[in-house]
Amino acid sequence: MKSIKDLERVKEQALAEIRVRSSSGSPRVTVGMGTCGIAAGARETMLAIIDELKKRQKLDVTITETGCVGLCAKEPIVEVHIPGEPRVVYGNVDVARARQIVASHLVNRKVVDDWVINIRKEDE
Amino acid sequence: MMDISLHLLDLMQNSARAQATRVVLSISEDREKDALTVAVIDNGNGMDEEEKRLALDPFYTTKKGKKVGLGLPLVVQAARMSGGDVKIESHPVSGTKVEVTFSLSHMDRQPLGDIPATLISFMAGNPEIELCFQYAGDQGAFSMTSSQLFSHEEKETLGQIALLSLAEKRLRAGLARAGFRPDGGGVIG
Repeated sequence: MKSIKDLERVKEQALAEIRVRSSSGSPRVTVGMGTCGIAAGARETMLAIIDELKKRQKLDVTITETGCVGLCAKEPIVEVHIPGEPRVVYGNVDVARARQIVASHLVNRKVVDDWVINIRKEDE
Repeated sequence: MMDISLHLLDLMQNSARAQATRVVLSISEDREKDALTVAVIDNGNGMDEEEKRLALDPFYTTKKGKKVGLGLPLVVQAARMSGGDVKIESHPVSGTKVEVTFSLSHMDRQPLGDIPATLISFMAGNPEIELCFQYAGDQGAFSMTSSQLFSHEEKETLGQIALLSLAEKRLRAGLARAGFRPDGGGVIG
């Protein structure tokens, strides 16, 4: 049985590894794909993001998905995470907004303030 | 949900959350029997008899912190309003099969929708899951497995975005060869 001190050290090591992992590597786009997201158009949002990234030859981005985060009225929800920068969560991301977010945030590194519903520091 | 392909994506997401490593989506159109049958089969954590009974209740969910689970009830509604039904086979160890039948010509049947879009978006979000797709219609048949969709060289050299674009192109071409068309649903189709 480990002591509390040992466990805290293990926790610190793990958190440090997570911080290294999340601040390196490629930008990541996460699309909410719960039932509410799908019904609100998340599939088309995701495909628009893939299409726009391809058109702009921005091929180093990783696309991933998550389930319902409890903000169904704001679906489709998209989180953009560029390593070393805060995670930006956008709401009501339809196809047009998705393309704009790719161009502005992922390509030109400019957050689209009007559609932001949350900004989280990297380790939150 | 506007069309059947969105219901299918939702069912496939259920499979992913049940920790499936393999998901099969099958679609079969039979105009002679006036039947459209779609099924999602996975090898994830299945349901026991009690969970299976509750799965169709919109106020039952296995997700913590949530009070509703609308995916399956919405599929049931879509099927029943067009003369069809939903059959669930599940076992806690071996996984789950959800089979949905529709009457092809029923005027309230939803359109089949953009099946390649459903497959691509699922592959994008769940690259670790092997996705198998089978389509059989009056004009032909088409099948694919996500692990065999690309050559070894393509997997080695192309990134996720390029692979997904290539997959979409191949899926649409394969389905077009098999005579698949995203119909308008019901009597319009």
